[in-house]
Amino acid sequence: MIAAAALAWLLITAAPASAHDVVPGVGGSLGGLLHPVLVPAHALALTALGLLVAQQAPRHRMGLLAAFAASLGAGILVIVSAFAVADAQYAVLGVAAAAGLAVALARPLLAPVAALVGLFGGVAVELDSAPEEISMQRTFLSLVGTAVGALLVVVLVAGLAIHLRRGWQRIGVRIVGSWIAASAILVLALRLAR
Amino acid sequence: MTKLLPPRSLVAVVPLLLVGAPASAHTGAVAGGFLGGFAHPLLGPDHVIAMVAVGLWGALLGAPAIWLLPIAFPLIMTFGGVLGIIGLPIPAVETGIAASAAVLGLMVALKARPPLWIAVALVGIFAVFHGHAHGAELPVGADAAAFSIGFVVATGLLHLSGVTFGLLARWPAGGIAVRAAGGAIAVAGILFLIRWQ
Repeated sequence: MIAAAALAWLLITAAPASAHDVVPGVGGSLGGLLHPVLVPAHALALTALGLLVAQQAPRHRMGLLAAFAASLGAGILVIVSAFAVADAQYAVLGVAAAAGLAVALARPLLAPVAALVGLFGGVAVELDSAPEEISMQRTFLSLVGTAVGALLVVVLVAGLAIHLRRGWQRIGVRIVGSWIAASAILVLALRLAR
Repeated sequence: MTKLLPPRSLVAVVPLLLVGAPASAHTGAVAGGFLGGFAHPLLGPDHVIAMVAVGLWGALLGAPAIWLLPIAFPLIMTFGGVLGIIGLPIPAVETGIAASAAVLGLMVALKARPPLWIAVALVGIFAVFHGHAHGAELPVGADAAAFSIGFVVATGLLHLSGVTFGLLARWPAGGIAVRAAGGAIAVAGILFLIRWQ
């Protein structure tokens, strides 16, 4: 009887588990891999970054991708060093808005500016993907999964967009950029205002 | 009769039932958010006809308006959306939306060809009204990002449907059909205007 009462007390007072898993029950590296695709704000930012890479001069594309990959790694190091950043979602939405606007304007960016967007984007995506794991190993695996997923999305989008060379196709890319920027700015305003 | 549950275990089961929370998958909010946002512009007939008119007019004006309007509209609409989100009122929003259908429909019906900057400015002013209405109605509960993506995509697809139909104007009969559609949109806009007076 005492044990049952104790169990009941435990159940009543226990807080619900609130893991950051996008798909409930799917954590670890697979959860991390899916995270950039299933969180809309991340998908917006990464798609915009991929389109931005495709719009740059060919000699600058690899540099931008390298900067993005390096910043994903830096983001992992920051989190495993137990350095937490609150509200990294704003940075992700800011990257989506900036990259989307740049895609809509379709003006090649100066290489340092493009690299800065890539660097900021990678760190922001990782910082906003920190899982609520107790185990350092599972946290690391999840973050590596996120890095691989994010890099895959950017490379795939860029690879597809590079082949869109006709006039109307380039206009389509710019329209998608304006949609991404519009969505990101609205969500940013909504989250800051409420 | 078989005793299924010892009475003492009820002490543990009842609190369990009381504190149990409903399952709430994150993906449901995303799907609901996107579909809700996608349906939002489609459920307002005044929004729908005005967006189609933007596409029709862009197609009639030709390059660069045919692509400049669909690129510029969402960005300018965002400005109005932010005003709606932060609660800054714009007078007569619904009248502005109805007027957008009437004026843009009239532009298509008359095959008006003003300078590009005037066309962009006119569409931009109306975009602020549409954005304000959407922004003020953005739900907090649903996934805001998915909702915003949904309604921006739906708005863009309405533009593109207008552009596609407007391309029929390359042929004489198509031109008549496009201008007739513009006239119908203008009439509907005027009716909406009368309703809001």
